[in-house]
Amino acid sequence: MKKKLLSLMLAGALAVTAFAGCGSSSSGSDSSSDSSSSDTASESTDDENTLTVYAWDANFNIPALKAAEAAYQEKNPDFVLNIEEQSQSSDVEDAVTLAGSSGDYSTLPDIVLFQDHYIQKYVADYPDAWNTMADADIDWSDFGAEKLSYSTVDGVHYGVPVDNGTVIFAYRVDILEECGYTMDDVTGITWDRFIEIGKDVYEKTGKYLLSMDGDGNDLPYMMLQAEGASQFNEDGTPNLTSDTVKDIVDVITRMSQENVLYLANDWSDYTDQTIMGDMVAGVMNGNWIIPTIEQVEANSGKWEITTMPTLSGEEGYASNGGSSLYITSNCSNVELAQDFLAYTFGGGEGAIATYDSALTDGGVITCCLSAGESEVYQQGVAYFNDQAIYSKIVEMGGNVKTVTQSDYHYSARSLVAAAIININQGAELDSELASAQEQLEFEMGL
Amino acid sequence: MKTIKRKQQLAGWGFLLPASILIAIMSFYPIIQAIFMSLKTGSSANLQWANPLTYNYTRMFKDALFLRSVGNTFLYLIIQVPIMLILAILLAQLLNNKDLKFRGLFRTMVFLPCATALVSYSLIFKSLFATQGLVNTILVNLGIFETNYNFLGNTNSARAIIIIALIWRWTGYNMVFYLAGLQNIEYSVYEAAKIDGANSWKTFWKITVPLLKPTIIMTVIMSINGTLQLFDESVNLTSGGPANSTITMSHYIYNNSFGQGVANFGYASAMSFFVFILVAILSRISMKVGDKRD
Repeated sequence: MKKKLLSLMLAGALAVTAFAGCGSSSSGSDSSSDSSSSDTASESTDDENTLTVYAWDANFNIPALKAAEAAYQEKNPDFVLNIEEQSQSSDVEDAVTLAGSSGDYSTLPDIVLFQDHYIQKYVADYPDAWNTMADADIDWSDFGAEKLSYSTVDGVHYGVPVDNGTVIFAYRVDILEECGYTMDDVTGITWDRFIEIGKDVYEKTGKYLLSMDGDGNDLPYMMLQAEGASQFNEDGTPNLTSDTVKDIVDVITRMSQENVLYLANDWSDYTDQTIMGDMVAGVMNGNWIIPTIEQVEANSGKWEITTMPTLSGEEGYASNGGSSLYITSNCSNVELAQDFLAYTFGGGEGAIATYDSALTDGGVITCCLSAGESEVYQQGVAYFNDQAIYSKIVEMGGNVKTVTQSDYHYSARSLVAAAIININQGAELDSELASAQEQLEFEMGL
Repeated sequence: MKTIKRKQQLAGWGFLLPASILIAIMSFYPIIQAIFMSLKTGSSANLQWANPLTYNYTRMFKDALFLRSVGNTFLYLIIQVPIMLILAILLAQLLNNKDLKFRGLFRTMVFLPCATALVSYSLIFKSLFATQGLVNTILVNLGIFETNYNFLGNTNSARAIIIIALIWRWTGYNMVFYLAGLQNIEYSVYEAAKIDGANSWKTFWKITVPLLKPTIIMTVIMSINGTLQLFDESVNLTSGGPANSTITMSHYIYNNSFGQGVANFGYASAMSFFVFILVAILSRISMKVGDKRD
C-alpha cells in the first residue's frame, strides 16, 4: 500500500514537471506570437502613424525614446512609438542574425537601437537588413565626426546617433587632496606621472587609482584613441605590434603590477566590487559609467571629472561604447521613420526637448552639438561637486579623434586583454602581442 | 489469425510513427543540414560553398585558440574523470554497507548536488571563489593566506576550481549508478569470498570491480561524452578566462556562432563535427577496452 502511494506520488511529480515543461515552452511560443503579431501591426499600412523600435535599457535608452516620442507628438499628434524592450543589447544583434540567416526580414521592427562597434559588421554581413538615412533631412555637421564614423558605411549614413560614449576620467577629489594633489595635478599629465601619483595614493589610502574589467579590457582601445592611434591599419589589417600599442600595453601592465590599476575578473566584478564597492579613487570609461559611480551615495559631492592622461602629457580624449538608431528594411513607412529620427535625435526642431528629457530621465548625453548647448546641460551636478559635467562631456566629445574602426573590434579587444593577463602572469610583451596579432589575422582570414 | 497479427503490427508502427517523424524533423534533418553548413563559409545571410570544400575542417587545426580549447577540455577529461569515478565508486562502496546508520540520508546528501541547475551551481562557485568571496575570507582569517588570492584570475587555480566544481557536481550522479550496480551483486558471492579468506581489498578488486564492469563502462562513456561537451561551467564560472586558459570546445563553438557578434555558423558546425567524431572514437575505445567477452 505504502509503495503504491509512493509510486503514485512519483508519477504525480513526473506529470507535474512534464506539464511545467509544456507550460514554459507554450508561454515561450506565446511571447513569440505576441511579438510577431505586433510586428504585423507595424508592417500593416493601415496605421500610418505607428513605428516599432527595439531597445534594451529601461533606465537609459528607453526613457530617451519615450522623450523622442513625446517631442514628435508636437508635430504629429497621432504618432505612436511602440517600444519593445529587449533584455540586453545582444538580443537585437541576434534578431538581425536570425532574420538574415533565414532570409526573412519581416520579423524585424521598423527601427532598432544598435551598438556602435557592431554595426559595421552587421551592415557588411546583412546588407539587405537596413535602410539608409541618406535622404533624411539631417545636418550631419551638427554631430561629432568620431561618433558618425561608426554609423557611416562607404560614405552613406545608416543611423542616427543617440548617446555619447565620450570617455571621462572621474577622480575622488577628497582622496586626491588627502594625498596632496588637486584636479589640476591629474589633468593633462603623462601616464608615467599618473603611475607615480597612483602609487602614492595606494600607499597612503589603499585605494587603486583606476580599475577595469580585465576580461573585456577597454583600456587599450581608449588609450590608443587618445593618442589618435588604432589597433587597425587604414586598410583594415590588424596593427597590434606597433610601438604605440606596445607602449600602451606596457603602461597597463606596469600600472597593474604597481597597484595603480586593479584588473577585475569580469564586468560585474568591475562595476560591483571595484566601483560600487568603493575600492577605487578614479574611474575611466565611457560616460555611461556615471550611473554606476552614483550608486555609492556616501561619496556624493566628492567626485569630479577631467580628461585622460596620454603618453605625451596632452589632454586625452576618447570614446567608448554608445549606440545609434537604424531603420530596418522591414520598415513600411520609411519616410515617417526618417522624419521622426531627423526631427528628434537628428537635431531637428524637437531635438532640444528630446535630449533634455533624455538627460534628466535616463542620463543619456547627446552627441548633437547644438542640443548640448541647452540650459539643462549647463547645470551643475551635485554628485560631482556641482561641476557642470554634461556640457563638459559634450565639449570633450567634440575633441575625440577619429580612428580606424574595424568589424573585428571585439576580437582585437579580447585578444589584447588576454595578452595583458598573460604578460601579468610573466609572459613576454613582444611575443604575446605578436601572437595576438597572428591570431587576429587568422580570425580575419588574412 | 494473420489479420490480427497484421493489425497489431500496424498499430505498432502507428505508435512509433509520431515519435519517429518528430525525431527525424527535429534532430536528423538539422544534423544533415549542419553537415552541409560545415562545408560553407561566409555570413549567414549569404553562405557559399567553401573552396576547397574542407576549408573549415583544415582551418580549425591552424586555429591556436581552438587547439587551446581542445587542450583545456582534454586536461579536464584526464584529471577530472578518473578522480570523479574513483570517488564515486568508493562512496558507493561505503554507502552500500548494510550496517551503516542514516544510509538514506548520506545517499541523498551525496546525490543532492545533481539536483542543482548547472548555471546556478557555477554562479555559486564563482561567488565562493571570488577575490572577496567566502573561501578567501576564511583562508585569510585563518592566517593561511596573507592577502586575498584571485583564484579565478590565475590560470592554474581557475582550472583547479573548474575541476573541483565538476567533481562536486557529478560524483553523486555517478555514485547512484554504482550503487544500483552493487545492489545487483548477490551477497552470497561476498560471503563465499570471505569464507575463502579474501580481505576487503581483494574482494573489491576481484569481485566488485569485475561485476560492476558494465556500469563502469557506461559511466566512463557518459563522463567522456559530458566532459567533451562541457559548456556551462566554462561560460558561467570563468567565462573562459583568464586569457582563454579555461575555455572549452563547446564554449569556443558558441563564441563563434553567437558570441561577440560573429555569426560564423559554417566554421562552428565544422568544429561541432570534430567534437562528435572525438566522442565516437573515445567511446569506441572505452567499449573495446572494457569488453573482453571474445
